[in-house]
Amino acid sequence: MTAPVRIAQLSCGADYSGVQEEINTAARSVNGEIFFPDIALKDIVRDFDKFGLEVRSPDLKLAIARAMALVEGRVDADAVFIATCFRCAEAAIVRNELRRYILEHSKLPVVSYSFTERTTSGTLLTRMEALTTIARRRALLAREVQEGITLGIDSGSSTTKAILMKDNRILGKGWMPTGEVLKSAHGVVDTALAEAGMKLSDVQAIGTTGYGRFLVGKEFKADLVQEELTVNSKGAVYLADRQHGPATVIDIGGMDNKAITVMDGIPGTFTMGGICAGASGRFLEMTAKRLGVDITELGPLAMKGMGNRVPMNSYCIVFGTQSLVNALAAGSTREDVAAAACHSVAEQVFEQQLQEVDIKEPVLMVGGTSLIEGLVHAMGELLKIKVVVPPHSQYIGAVGSALLASGFIKKDGTDAGH
Amino acid sequence: MAKVFIYPATSLILSDMVTRFGHKPLGSAIAIRERVQTPGLESPPLQITPEEPKKGLAWAAVEVPAGVRGRMSLYGPMVEECDAAIIINNADLAFGCMGCARTNELVKFLLRQKEMPRLELEYPKNEAEGVQFVAAIKKFLTEIGGKK
Amino acid sequence: MTEYKPAYPGTVTRYVVVESYTVTPADVAIRAYEVAKGVMIKENCFGLIVMGKEEDVDRVIAEVRKMDPTHIFVKDRGFPPGDARRCRATLGGARPGFHGIEFEMGILPYISNGLEKTENLDLSAVPAPAPAAPERRLDVYTLKKMIDAQEP
Repeated sequence: MTAPVRIAQLSCGADYSGVQEEINTAARSVNGEIFFPDIALKDIVRDFDKFGLEVRSPDLKLAIARAMALVEGRVDADAVFIATCFRCAEAAIVRNELRRYILEHSKLPVVSYSFTERTTSGTLLTRMEALTTIARRRALLAREVQEGITLGIDSGSSTTKAILMKDNRILGKGWMPTGEVLKSAHGVVDTALAEAGMKLSDVQAIGTTGYGRFLVGKEFKADLVQEELTVNSKGAVYLADRQHGPATVIDIGGMDNKAITVMDGIPGTFTMGGICAGASGRFLEMTAKRLGVDITELGPLAMKGMGNRVPMNSYCIVFGTQSLVNALAAGSTREDVAAAACHSVAEQVFEQQLQEVDIKEPVLMVGGTSLIEGLVHAMGELLKIKVVVPPHSQYIGAVGSALLASGFIKKDGTDAGH
Repeated sequence: MAKVFIYPATSLILSDMVTRFGHKPLGSAIAIRERVQTPGLESPPLQITPEEPKKGLAWAAVEVPAGVRGRMSLYGPMVEECDAAIIINNADLAFGCMGCARTNELVKFLLRQKEMPRLELEYPKNEAEGVQFVAAIKKFLTEIGGKK
Repeated sequence: MTEYKPAYPGTVTRYVVVESYTVTPADVAIRAYEVAKGVMIKENCFGLIVMGKEEDVDRVIAEVRKMDPTHIFVKDRGFPPGDARRCRATLGGARPGFHGIEFEMGILPYISNGLEKTENLDLSAVPAPAPAAPERRLDVYTLKKMIDAQEP
């Protein structure tokens, strides 16, 4: 077993919310180890003054001083986890500023999170996994070219996708709504293999990602089981051919959204989920259903409408649907309603998630929702930049998995096949 | 013997002086000890489970952060139980149980709301202030029935 | 979540902090061991941690306090000595509360001095501590008085 990734925790309130053990558990499950940087009182007083953010809470002062000890190299760590209470304004400012400060002044990967007493280790797992992956597996993430024959499976909350690749080219694709996790996975794999004219035994390495990654990974004896934050970043810059320099990846998913800043294909800051269903792909699905169109037609419909004619900006799917019904009852056109729905989702993501990452161009939109051009358009308007949708963007996780899995092909050709 | 809430609740100085002059200090350690010594579900390090922030709803509404409510579940009952309070107002470097400024503001407010003997002062910065500080506390504790 | 069984129910733990010119934490520890009678004693950098039944702990503390009453301070602790949940060795850094003690340690000499000076003093003769300085600007009348008081 390799040495655990040393994760420095900078926090206020975790012990008192009863979630410290959840944090520890999430870290342990990805071979991480939480610790608290050791400093003295004189360091706290000096560094808090030096940092210049005059907060009142002593534990936030402590967090600031500990962050400075990490950045200045007085305490060693592999990664940083910043956590404060949800709904605390003072802590939110510290959390954001510390994350920015650490990213600007060190190479340490950082994840920040605001918890409630309901936060569980399961919620934190994907973030912790991404954190330890960035800290430990930079070599893996450095891969830019797919080699051999590999299969990537993305078992998402709404849809399951598979991609078969050979020598840096996509040969087979599979896509279906997620029903029974394993059945859906087998379904998409069979489709992808059939398109490529191959058998599972031809495949030299398999990677899985998404919510069902562990289950599907076990079923297919995957070589790489990896959370979607790093995999999607990798897939996005690979497909958009932006593997060098900065990029921002936005993935509005069925259950949660991801906004990731990427540098040379390696994720820097990211935010994940945190918003209600009104800002998810689910809401757009519901809108399409209400408007009596297929989800694939929602985008073109929205492009014909004017979103600002319909008031709709709720992060709650129930209230969002209410606005939608009201607008239709008041005689708004389907086009305007479709455009408003796209704008509403984009706006929620923009306000609640994109503020936490420093947007750097190109902005790549990926995942199934990136095919809804009305949504991409609305996001571009909000960001005031041209948003790029790479080819095969709905397969991003599967492509990322297939790409990274090729790092597991044995050079001596002893792959037994799957 | 009176139960005296000490603020900062982690104070060595106040805990010592309240005991020294014949009373019982109510502070963080008492509340934490109670949790550490009660069987239940494991929730290290402080044995504060996610249930505690819910108990904290008695003193702070649901829109108040979980950390404030969790801390209030420690202090709320002691604020209700105490007969007197000593507050050091410039306790800006008390961490952990006293690490949240919002909780601290609320605790102080609740102590001030309660009709009971209360002494408020500042940490001494020199010998002369030290004498005044000790004399004030000693006098206060004597007046509420402590030993001379 | 797993079940939690407390390790030392029914005990109390107290810190004994030694801030003395005449006795060292080691001296205090020796004396504490002499009178321990089953009370658990652990030395640390600023004094001792004493754990046991409340009356026993108080007995030991009363004994060691006699060594230098105005320079030995006592505080309650929630955790038993050496508990991994609070231990620096397992947490990586000091628990936050340690820095609070660190801060008050710097003030203890004033307290010791205060305890000595007030021992046989009529407390009513000591002026009350000044309240925190108000953050008010100097009013114009006071300023005028000060100007007038200056020698030309």
